Amino acid sequence: MSDLVERYVQQVGRYLPAKERKEVEAELRSQIQDQLEDRFAGSPTQAHAATVLAELGDPRKMAASYGSQQYLVGPELYPTLVQVLRRILVIVPTLVVIATVLGAVASSQPYSLPGLFIETAASAVQAVLILIAVVVLFFAILQNTGTDVSGASGPKKQFDPLALPPLDDPYGVDRAESTFGIAIGTFFALVLVYFLRVGGLTLRFNLGNPGEVLPVSTIWLIILIVSGIAQVLVNVWALWRNRWTAGLWFAETVFELMGHVGVYFVFLKPLFGRVLTTVPALANLPFMAGTPEIFLGVAIAITLLSKGHRLFKLWTYQTAHR
Amino acid sequence: MTDTDDHINALRLELRRGVVVLAVLSQMDTASYGYNLIQQLAEKGLDIEEGTLYPLLRRLEKQGLLESKWEMGESRPRKYYQISPAGRQVLSTLSADWFETVNVMSNILGKILKGEKNV
Repeated sequence: MSDLVERYVQQVGRYLPAKERKEVEAELRSQIQDQLEDRFAGSPTQAHAATVLAELGDPRKMAASYGSQQYLVGPELYPTLVQVLRRILVIVPTLVVIATVLGAVASSQPYSLPGLFIETAASAVQAVLILIAVVVLFFAILQNTGTDVSGASGPKKQFDPLALPPLDDPYGVDRAESTFGIAIGTFFALVLVYFLRVGGLTLRFNLGNPGEVLPVSTIWLIILIVSGIAQVLVNVWALWRNRWTAGLWFAETVFELMGHVGVYFVFLKPLFGRVLTTVPALANLPFMAGTPEIFLGVAIAITLLSKGHRLFKLWTYQTAHR
Repeated sequence: MTDTDDHINALRLELRRGVVVLAVLSQMDTASYGYNLIQQLAEKGLDIEEGTLYPLLRRLEKQGLLESKWEMGESRPRKYYQISPAGRQVLSTLSADWFETVNVMSNILGKILKGEKNV
C-alpha cells in the first residue's frame, strides 16, 4: 500500500521546484496517510490506496496546484510576443527568398531550379527558427527581469488614468515594432559578423567551409554592423523608457540612413556588379547600370519621409509642451 | 454534456473559489489536519476535493493566514494547521464582506427567486 502512495508522492515531486519538493512531499504523504487511516480504519489495502490516489488526481495536475505560476513568457508579454512572431513569419521568409535568388543569380556556379527551391525553403525555415529562438529568449529575459513592455499596468503598479497617453501620442513606442526591430537587428548583426569573419558575402553559414565568398569592403561591413547594433540599442532604450524623444528618434533615423548606405556598399553594389558580370545582357536594359543607386535613393527617401514626419511631430510636440 | 452545462460548471467553480478560502479559515480556530477539515466541511454541506484543499492549505500558510506544526502521532508525523492572528483579521473582514454581498445579492436576485418576471 505504502509503496503506491510513495510512487504517487514521488511523481508529484518530479514536477515541483527543488526548493519546495521535500516539504510538499512530506505534507502530501502525511495527508494521504491521514485520509487512508480515517477512511479505511485498520489496515488499508492497495485498492484503498488506489481509490484515494485516483480522487487526488493526476500527479502533474496536483503538482501544478501546488506551484506558484511561473512563465517563460507571461500573459502580459504574450500578446506582444505573438505580434512579433507574426511579423517574423511574414517578413523573414520573404527576405530569405530574395537573398537566395540573388545569391544564385550572382553565383558563378550553375544552379538547378529544384535545388534552388529546396535550398530556399531550408534557409527560410532555418532563419525563422533562429529568429523565433532569439525573440523568445529576449522575451524570457524581459519576463525574468520584470520589464513591462506590454503597456499594461502590472498588478503592483497603481493605474493612473490621467497618465494615459494622449491620442496620437508621438512619444508612444510601438512595442511589437521595436521588439521586432531588436530581434531582426540582432540577427542581421550576427550574420554580418559572420561575413566579416569569412571576408565577404556567402549563403553558406559554415566557418570551416564558407563556400564561394563575394569579397566586400571591410570598412563598410563594420559601419553596417555598428549601425545595426546602434539601432538595436536605441530601440532597447526606447522600450525601456517606454517613450520616444526627438533626440532618440533622430539617432534612430541617422543610424537607419547609415545602414542604408552600408547596405549599398556591402550588398547592392557588389551583388549587382556580380549579376552584371554573370549575365552581361542585363546591362543593356534601361536603368540597369544605376539600379543600386536607385535602390539606395528610394530607401533614403522612404526613411526621410517616414522618420522625418515623426521627428517633426516629436519636435513640435516637445517644443509646444516644454 | 452540453455547452450550457460546461458554462454552468465553469461559473460554479468561479463562484466557489473565494468561498472555499473563507470556509477553510472559518474552521481553523482549533488545530486541524487536512482530511479532518474536509470531513468537517462536508458535514456542514461543503464538499471540497483533496486536490483543491491540500495545496490551498499550503498557500494560506505561505500567505501567513495559517500556522502549522508537525506533531508526532503513534507511528508517523502529522501536520496540523491553525488560523494565525493575520488570518483572523482577514476572516473577520471577509466575513463582513460576505454578509454584505449576500444582502445585496438577495435584493438583486430576490425577484428571480420569487418567480417574478425581471424586466
